Amino acid sequence: MPRLMDMGLDQLNSLLLDMATLSQQAVSASIDAYSLGSKGAEVRQMSNRLRALHRQVSDLSVEMIARYQPVASDLRFLKACMEISYGFFRYGRYALDITSVLEMFGNLSSCDKKFVVDTAKKTQEMIRMSVEAFAKRDLETARNLPKMDDVVDESYRRNLRTTIEKKGGDIKCALSATLILRYLERIADHASYIGESIEYIATGIEPKLD
Amino acid sequence: MYSEIEGISVKANSDSAPAVNTIPFDAERHPIVEVRNLNAWYGAQHVISDVSMKFKRNHVTAIIGPSGCGKSTLVRCINRLHELVPSSKLTGNVMLDGVDIYGKQIDVVDVRRRIGMVFQKPNPFPNMSIRDNVIAGWKLAGVRDKKRLDEIAKNALQQAFLWDEVRDKLPNSGASISGGQQQRLCIARALAVEPEVILMDEPCSALDPTATAKIEELISKLSENYTVIIVTHNMQQASRVADFTAFMYLGKLIEYDETPRMFENPKEELTERYITGKFG
Repeated sequence: MPRLMDMGLDQLNSLLLDMATLSQQAVSASIDAYSLGSKGAEVRQMSNRLRALHRQVSDLSVEMIARYQPVASDLRFLKACMEISYGFFRYGRYALDITSVLEMFGNLSSCDKKFVVDTAKKTQEMIRMSVEAFAKRDLETARNLPKMDDVVDESYRRNLRTTIEKKGGDIKCALSATLILRYLERIADHASYIGESIEYIATGIEPKLD
Repeated sequence: MYSEIEGISVKANSDSAPAVNTIPFDAERHPIVEVRNLNAWYGAQHVISDVSMKFKRNHVTAIIGPSGCGKSTLVRCINRLHELVPSSKLTGNVMLDGVDIYGKQIDVVDVRRRIGMVFQKPNPFPNMSIRDNVIAGWKLAGVRDKKRLDEIAKNALQQAFLWDEVRDKLPNSGASISGGQQQRLCIARALAVEPEVILMDEPCSALDPTATAKIEELISKLSENYTVIIVTHNMQQASRVADFTAFMYLGKLIEYDETPRMFENPKEELTERYITGKFG
């Protein structure tokens, strides 16, 4: 017989899957806007929607804690839901930040975008993996995320070093690339945190803090 | 013999099989009560099966588990009430401060003084006044000094957070106060004889939420000076009041750990399923 709490847990799962899809779309739209030079106007709406969904997840999680006083795997799931929801919300927010860079810097068609786009592909793969790991509670995929995060981190740092040492060149291209890489690096961090939350749901093991 | 619950098997009521005990490190330090390989029967019914555990001094330990799992019997073995049931039998040891309370030279009355008990339903002596309920043990032991008895009653009622509510009605019947007050009166009665351990068997099950909250606050306060072992089927109550929690099932100790760990991340699947309400 299903428990009263199960209905709420299913609802949370469904909300998070909606957030997963929407956040993936938001990041893809912002990367497309950068690489193809489009406006990415829909990203703001998606980011706002993700914020509203995040609040809904938090409210429902708190309500369930208050009503059912969950323990063990139920409690861990609720705690992780709030963390994962925040991660998806942040994906959307960084996607919006990327489009804000494009608005601020205007036409970037003359810039060499290959390095940023390559890093974006890795970050998008991390987003895809984080979503899949959550949907399938796939621990192996979740555990691979921190390794990929290291790769994205290194890309960001390498670009920063190159930019600092670079003499001359187009400042607009360099600055926009640095900012976008910074947002991608933060997205990768959140993908990694989502992976840790999935591990926490399954095993109860909290991630070690650096 | 195995018993199946929705796909999970536990070895039950087997003398030869070791119990699936996990003793938390912290509960091992400074134990006041230690149960060693305890087995208990009612007639042919084997209700406690090879339970070993230590109870830490001046801490609260909750024992949870479904009805009939043996949790009440376990605490009744700890102060030798189990043997009062006709056809009951017991093997193993219960150590109080390193001394086996089932030893041949042991005075059972002294054991029950040192290990007090509070029952599910408040059971004040209805024909005695509030004051006399508290000092009943001392009067029975022959103490007649009124001044001393008054002091004992006041002290015990203060410890049970009842003094302010009853100080003006000490001569009234113990049955004349509310259910929650009666339960605190019973706790005061247990405290009056200066025990070291207080056993509580579902002490709040007959009380409303306000009275329950008062008893829970009292339990927390009492653990500063006493060791409290509480049987409860209310898991939220265990998580609120206990430092350690033990989960029993079919007479066996399935898991024993620090309470936050038990309720966030139990080690045993059976515990997980019980506390999340997936069986019981």
